[in-house]
Amino acid sequence: MVLATISFIVFRWVLIPIRTEGSSMLPTYTPDKLHFVNRLAYGTRGPQRGDVVAIQMAGPHVLYVKRIVGLPGERVAIAGGQVQINGTGLSEPYVRHRKPWDVPEVTLGPREYFVIGDNRGMSVGEHDFGRAQVDRILGKVVF
Amino acid sequence: MRRIALSVVAVVTVAAGVWFIYASSDAGRGVRARLESLSDMVNRTTVDGLGPEARAVQLGAFFTEDVDVELGQGAAAIRGRDTIIGMAERLQPRTAAFRLKFEDVSVVLAPDGNTADVHLTAEFIRRSITTGEESLDAREFMLGMRRVAADWQIAKVTAVETLK
Repeated sequence: MVLATISFIVFRWVLIPIRTEGSSMLPTYTPDKLHFVNRLAYGTRGPQRGDVVAIQMAGPHVLYVKRIVGLPGERVAIAGGQVQINGTGLSEPYVRHRKPWDVPEVTLGPREYFVIGDNRGMSVGEHDFGRAQVDRILGKVVF
Repeated sequence: MRRIALSVVAVVTVAAGVWFIYASSDAGRGVRARLESLSDMVNRTTVDGLGPEARAVQLGAFFTEDVDVELGQGAAAIRGRDTIIGMAERLQPRTAAFRLKFEDVSVVLAPDGNTADVHLTAEFIRRSITTGEESLDAREFMLGMRRVAADWQIAKVTAVETLK
């Protein structure tokens, strides 16, 4: 009974199980796999560059899984498939395939993060990415 | 005497609160049920013998005559129930491959109870005819709904850019 209660609390409010869909996070996350979102990951410090996070849409049941590349206040652009932060190329060892995307520079607001999937081998129009408000970040994807 | 009066006021206040919560959630249920019916209608296969025209007209009943649909991302706005019906008719062979599901539906009713703002995520699940594999696309929307006679109808659809 105690174990069931603890499991219920943990998997409902702390470690949320999610099933990945789609190919935008390949090769790091493959479709149809189970992962967990740690909702307490950002209790003491905010999201960091390189973190893979879950971003909620209208609620917590359908989420984007993306990687943070830009932090609040930074200037972010993509030139020839290379992410530029404040004019400097970002090293991204997790990206295996890269198409020459070009995205004009944006300056992130004080509560905005720039998020993008690891699969840059897709065409730019098929890939959802951009600025996300911090309130939409549900937690850090772990396991 | 004063204690009795205070007790009566407290009971009336609590009762009014309970009634308000009940009435609100009940009306919210009506909006949710209407959206469920909409997704059921979209997902219904053609085995019921209805032709594309009749099905499109049925679908049109979920929208107000002056419905306004803003899909964003450079897409032209769609205005009017007749436009929706026409599009539904033309696109039916393609939309038949999709299943529509609404998730995380939240409803805020106006004080008069005749209009409601709805925030939801729409999932479009597509099954490949050749491989049988399913792919999912999801989009966030704000809906403005209006009570017309006994039914709720969609008066405004606005796509929300989750990532800007």
